[in-house]
Amino acid sequence: MSAFASPSVEIETPEAGSAPRGLFAWVATVDHKRIGILYLLTALVFFIVGGVEALLMRIQLARPNNTFLSPGAFNQIFTMHGTTMIFLVVMPTLFGLANYLVPLMIGARDMAFPRLNAMSYWLLPFGGLLLHFSLLAGGAPAVGWFSYAPLSETQYASTHGVDYWVLALLILGVGSVATSINLIATILTLRAPGLTIRRLPLFVWMIFVNSFLVILAIPALNAAIVMLFIDRNLSTYFFSPTHGGSALLWQHFFWAFGHPEVYIMALPAFGIISEVVPVFARRPIFGYEFVAASTVAIALLSFGVWAHHMFAVGMGHPIDLFFAASSMLIAVPTGVKVFAWSATMWGGSIRLTTAMLFAVAFLIQFTIGGLSGVTFAVVPIDWQVTDTYYLVAHFHYVLFGGTFFAVFAGLYYWFPKMTGRMLSERLGKLNFWMALIGFNTAFFVQHFLGLMGMTRRIYTYPDLPGWGLLNLISTIGAFLLGAAVLVLLWNIVVSLRHGQPAGDNPWQAWTLEWAATSPPPAQNFDRVPPIRSRRPLWDLAHPERPDPEVGGPTSRDEFALEKNRVSMVTFLISEGAFFVMLILAYLYYNNHTMDGPTPASTLNAKKTGVFTLCLLASSLTIWLAERKLEARKPAAFRWLLALTILLGAVFILGQGQEYLHVFHAGVMVNSNLFATTFFTLTGFHGLHVCVGLVALLIVMGLSLAGDFKQGRIEAAKSIGLYWHFVDAVWLVVFSVIYLRLLL
Amino acid sequence: MTTEQFLLSAWNWNPWVIAVCVATFLTYGVRYQARFSRKICWLLAGLVVFFLTLASPMDALADGYLFTAHMLQHLLLLLVVPPLILLSLPPATMPGRFQKERWKWLTWMVRHPAVTWCLGVGGMWLWHAPTLCNAAVTNGWIHRLQYVSLLLMGFAFWWPILGPWSRQRLSPLAGIVYLFSACLGCTILGIILTFAPVEVCSIYLHPIDRLGILPLVQNQWGLTPAKDQQLGGLLMWVPACLIYFCGIIGLLARWYGQANDEAPVYESQPNATLIGETHVH
Amino acid sequence: MQANFSPIFDPASSQAAAISGLFMVVLLICAIILAIVVGMVGVGLIRFRQRPGSAEPPSYFGNRKLEIIWTAGPTLIIICLFVLTARGMRQSDPPANQEPDLIVISHQWWWEARYPQTGVATANEIHVPAGSKWLVRLQSADVIHDFWVPRLARKMDVVPGNTNYIWLEARVPGQYAGACAEYCGAQHAWMRFSVIADSPETYAAWLREQQNPAALPATDSARQGLKIFQTMTCANCHSIRGVSVAGSAAPDLTHLAVRRYLGAGVLSNTETNLFRWLKNPQASKPGCLMPDLKLTDAQASAVASYLETLQ
Repeated sequence: MSAFASPSVEIETPEAGSAPRGLFAWVATVDHKRIGILYLLTALVFFIVGGVEALLMRIQLARPNNTFLSPGAFNQIFTMHGTTMIFLVVMPTLFGLANYLVPLMIGARDMAFPRLNAMSYWLLPFGGLLLHFSLLAGGAPAVGWFSYAPLSETQYASTHGVDYWVLALLILGVGSVATSINLIATILTLRAPGLTIRRLPLFVWMIFVNSFLVILAIPALNAAIVMLFIDRNLSTYFFSPTHGGSALLWQHFFWAFGHPEVYIMALPAFGIISEVVPVFARRPIFGYEFVAASTVAIALLSFGVWAHHMFAVGMGHPIDLFFAASSMLIAVPTGVKVFAWSATMWGGSIRLTTAMLFAVAFLIQFTIGGLSGVTFAVVPIDWQVTDTYYLVAHFHYVLFGGTFFAVFAGLYYWFPKMTGRMLSERLGKLNFWMALIGFNTAFFVQHFLGLMGMTRRIYTYPDLPGWGLLNLISTIGAFLLGAAVLVLLWNIVVSLRHGQPAGDNPWQAWTLEWAATSPPPAQNFDRVPPIRSRRPLWDLAHPERPDPEVGGPTSRDEFALEKNRVSMVTFLISEGAFFVMLILAYLYYNNHTMDGPTPASTLNAKKTGVFTLCLLASSLTIWLAERKLEARKPAAFRWLLALTILLGAVFILGQGQEYLHVFHAGVMVNSNLFATTFFTLTGFHGLHVCVGLVALLIVMGLSLAGDFKQGRIEAAKSIGLYWHFVDAVWLVVFSVIYLRLLL
Repeated sequence: MTTEQFLLSAWNWNPWVIAVCVATFLTYGVRYQARFSRKICWLLAGLVVFFLTLASPMDALADGYLFTAHMLQHLLLLLVVPPLILLSLPPATMPGRFQKERWKWLTWMVRHPAVTWCLGVGGMWLWHAPTLCNAAVTNGWIHRLQYVSLLLMGFAFWWPILGPWSRQRLSPLAGIVYLFSACLGCTILGIILTFAPVEVCSIYLHPIDRLGILPLVQNQWGLTPAKDQQLGGLLMWVPACLIYFCGIIGLLARWYGQANDEAPVYESQPNATLIGETHVH
Repeated sequence: MQANFSPIFDPASSQAAAISGLFMVVLLICAIILAIVVGMVGVGLIRFRQRPGSAEPPSYFGNRKLEIIWTAGPTLIIICLFVLTARGMRQSDPPANQEPDLIVISHQWWWEARYPQTGVATANEIHVPAGSKWLVRLQSADVIHDFWVPRLARKMDVVPGNTNYIWLEARVPGQYAGACAEYCGAQHAWMRFSVIADSPETYAAWLREQQNPAALPATDSARQGLKIFQTMTCANCHSIRGVSVAGSAAPDLTHLAVRRYLGAGVLSNTETNLFRWLKNPQASKPGCLMPDLKLTDAQASAVASYLETLQ
C-alpha cells in the first residue's frame, strides 16, 4: 500500500445498471455522506415543527390571561417542544454532521459499519413519527420533557401520550447508541496512516469523547423509561409513592442521563467552533492539548453533577454541597475552552464571514449561558431561580445561543463541501443579524422574568407589573428568530441552484475533508495527503513553515484494534450501564423488609445456583470453542458451540421454571416492589441470554455454511465476548439477589 | 473534651508505623542515592500521609467512632499513599530477570491490568461487606490485615498507571478507561452508601466511648450515625472520583506532552490486525 | 409592596436576604468574567481584522503559562464561590424532628394550610405573625409540587412519600406572593398562594376568627345556598366546619369570604366571580378537579351569596 493510500474499506460496489437511482438511491444508501445529509434534513423538518410549537407558546404567553391555547394544548406543546428539540433536532443534527465529517476528516472511505449507520438513521424518522402519532391516539404527552413521576404515572397521565413518548425514546436511543458505537469504531480503526489520536482534528476528538457519553447516558435513560413503562402498563409502583415506590428515584435516574445529555449536545458544538474559529482567524487553535484534555474533563465530570437538577428537592445539605462543588468544577474546563477560542483570534487575521459571525456570537452567548449556569451551582441561588424563566433563559442560551449558533456556523462552513456551492454571504449576513437580534431579544428578557417570579411551564400568568411587556418583547424576538430561520432556508434553496461554485477548499482550511472534492466522490479519497502534524493541508500549502511534527506515532498509541471487537466492547459497556441502573433499583428497593413476597419466601437459591453453574460452564465451553476456531478445527468448534447453546438453553429453562413456580405461588410482577424489581432485573437478563442464544445459533449456521474457513473469525469472537458479558452480569445479579439467601 | 484537646491528645505513636516510615525512607535514600529532587518530595508526601492515616486522631476516630473516618483511612491507604510512593520512583526498565520464565509469575499480576483493576476496586467493595467491616473494627488482627491489604491492593492498582517500568504501563487511552471504570466502580458503592443507607458497618451505629469523645463527635460536630453514614458514602464517592479524575488528567498531560518517537517495542497481540487492514464482513 | 422589580432581590426575611446578598456577589463575579470574555473577543475582532492583502499570520500554538493561569484562576474563583455557597446554605437548615408550626399540604391545584396547634384549616392564603420564625412541614397529596415565596424563603419541593421542612419568617407585615414552582399538571399555572404576615395583634384576631365555626346564614338566599351545598355533592369534598366535615379533597370553605382569591389565584374573590366559578369552574380553570355541577343561575347565585357570608 502506498504511503498516500487511504485505508481501504471494501464496500461492495454494485454493478453499473443495477445501482439504485434517484430517490430510491437516497432511501437505500449506506454512504455516510448521504446518511449525514438525511439526518440534517430530517432534523430540519423537526426543527420547523418544534419551532412552530415554540411560536404557538409565545403567542399564548404574549399577553396575560390569554386564551389562544387551552391549558391542555399548551402543556402538550411545551412537552413536545422540549422532546422534539432535544431528541429530534439537536442530537440528529450533531450526529448528522459527525456522520458526514468524521470519515472525511480521518481520511477514511466510510464509517466502520455502513449498514448499521443506515439503520441508525432510519430509526430517527420512525421514532419521531411514533412520538407524533400520540397526537392522533389520545393526545401528546403533557408531562414535560423530563416526565417527573408520579405525574407521569397512569393515575395522573391517563392518555397514552407518555407511552408513545417512552417507546419513541427507546427507538431513538437505539439509533443514538448505534451511531456512537459506529463512530468510536471508525475513529479507532480507520484513521489514515500518520493520523494518530493526538493529531485528530478537535471536531473528531470531541465527537469521540462525546460518543462515550452517549453510550453511557442513553442506557440510563432507557432503564428509567422502561421502568416507567412497566409502571404504567403492568400496574407496578417503581415511582409511585402510594405503594412504596420513590418519586425521587425517577429524578435520579433521569438526570443521570439528563445531565450527560446536555454535554452530549454541547461537545460536538465545541468541536465545530474549534474548527471554524482557527480557519477564519488564520491561526491554529490556541492550546490544542488543553482543549483536548478539557474535553475529557468535561465528559468525566458530567457524570458527577446530575443532582444539581434536584437542589430544591430536599436531599440534605451534604449531598447538595457535593454536587455544588462538582457543578462549579465543571465550569473550569469549559472556561479553558472559551479562553482558548478567544486567544486563537488574537494575533490572527480574522475574516468575518457568516460562519465566523455565528462562531463569535456563540462565544459570547455560550459564556452568558455558562455563567448563568454557574449561578445555579450556588445552591441557595438555585433555590430561588430554578424552575423559573431564569432557568429557561439559561438553557436556551447554551442550547440555542450556544449549540445551535455553532450548528449555523458549521453549516455555513461545510455547506460548500457538502454541495459544491457557497451559501450567499449577503443572505447569510441577514440571517445572522436577524438571528442574533431575535434570539437575544427573545431570551435575554426571560432572565428578568424569572427574577420577577415567573415560574416555568405555565400556560398563562396574572397581570403583574412588567410581566406582560417583557413577555411580549420575548414573543417579538421569537418571531424575528423564526424569520431568521426562514432566511436561512431561503439561502439554502437559492444557493443550491445559483450559489457560487465552491472548489475543493474555498476557505483555505487545513483538515483532511478539504483535500477531497466538493462534494466528495463516493469513496471520499483516491489519495490522502501525507500527515505529519495537526494541519496536513497547511503543511502542503506552506512547505516553508510547516507545523511542528507533534503527536506522532509512539509505541503507546499504535495499538492494534479491530473494529468488531471495538464495537462489541463498546456495546457491552452500554449494556452494562443499563444493567447497573436496574441493579441499583433492585438494591434501593430491597434494602429493607417489606410486606408481601420476599426473596426468602419466593426464591429457590440452591436450584438457581445449579443453573448458574450451567451458565458459567457455558462461558468455559465457548472460550474453548474460540480456541478451536483459532486452531482451524471447525468440527470441534461446532461441538463446543452446540454445548454452549445447550447449557444456555438449560439456564433459560431453569429461569422459566423458577418464574412458573413463583407465579404459582401467586407472586406477580406487581405484588410488591421486591417482585417488580426481581422480575425486571432477571427478566432483562433472561432477554439478553435469549438474544445471545439466537446469536450463537446464527454463528453456528455461518460455521456450517463455511464462513470461518478463511480465518475471519472476529465476528464469532465478538459474540463470544457478548456471551461472557451475559454470564458476568448474571454473576452480579445472582450475588445481589440470591447469594444472601445462601449465606 | 473540646476539639483542640482531642486533636492534641489522640495520637497513636504506633512503633510499627514509625518503623515502616523510617525504613522506607532509608531504603529509598540508599537505593537511589537521592539528592534533593522533586521525586523525594513525592516520597515524603506519601510517608506523611501514611503516618497521618495511621497515627493521627483520624485513626482514633476510625476505631469505632466514625464511619467517615474509617472511610477516609481506606481512601488514603488505597488511593493516595500508593500513587505518591510510586511517583517517587525514578523511571526504570524492568529488570531482565523478570522476563525469564522462572520469574515471570512474579510480574504476572502487574502485567495484567484486569487483575490489578479487580484488586483495586474489589478491595474497596470487599472491606464494605458488613461482616468484614465490623470484624475489622473489633478484631485487631483483621484490622491490621485490612491496612496491609489496602496498601498492597493500592500499589497493585496504580502500578499499570504509575509504575516505574514505563514500558509496561498502560497506553494512555487504555489508562483512561481503566481509571474511569474504577471511578464508576467506587461511585456505585458510594451511591449505595449515601442514598440507600444499608447498615454497612453496624458497629458504627453504637460506638463504644473508650475515649470519652462521643458527645464531642455527635453533638458538637453534629455527626449522628445517619449523617455519618451519608457523609462516609459521599467521601467514598466524590473525593475518590476526584483522585481518579486527577489521574486521568495526569495521564493526558503526560501523553500530550510526550515527544514523538519512543523506542517502539510494544508487546504485540497475536490476533490483531494492523490499522489499515480492515475488512467489512 | 415590593420595593424592587424582583422579589428575589427584595427580601423580607433573613433567609431570603442571605440568598439575595449572595446572588448579588455572584452576579458581580459573573459580570466581571463576562466583561473579560467580551473584551477579549471584541478587542480581538477589531484589532485583528483581516487587512486586505495581508499574508498568513505566524502560527502560534499556545502558551503553557497562560493556559495554566486561566485554568488555575477560575479554579480559585470556584473555591471562593463554594465557600460562599456553604455559608449561605447554613441559613436554611431546619430540624426535622421538631413539631411544625404550620403544615402545608399541596394538592392538584391548590394549597391546604393547617395550623396544628389550633386545628385551623384554610386554603391558598396563609397567615403568619410577622417577626416569628415558623417551621413549616410540606407534604403532598398527589404529585410533586413546589412551595415558593420568593421574598421570604427558598423554594422547596413538596414530594409525595416524603416530608420536607422549611423556615418561614416575614420580618415586617405585608402580603407576599407565592406560587407552585414544579410543573404538576393541567393547572400548574393557577396554583398561586399568598403568605400574609400580620402584626401579632392582627394575627391573633385572625386566628380567633378562623377557629370559630361557620357563620349561620342570615338571608333567605344564603339559607337556600346552604341547602344546596348540603344536598348537592359539594359537601362530599368541601368542609365547612359547623356544617359538615369532608376530609381534604377540596379547599376548606369555612371562612372563604375573607380570602382574596378564588381557585388559587385565578379569580379575585367577589360575589360575581364566585357566581361565575360556581356556574362552571371548568370555564375559569379548565382541567381543575371540581366538576361542572350544572347549577342553574338561581342555584349558583344562592350558593355564592351563602359562601360570601362565611367571614
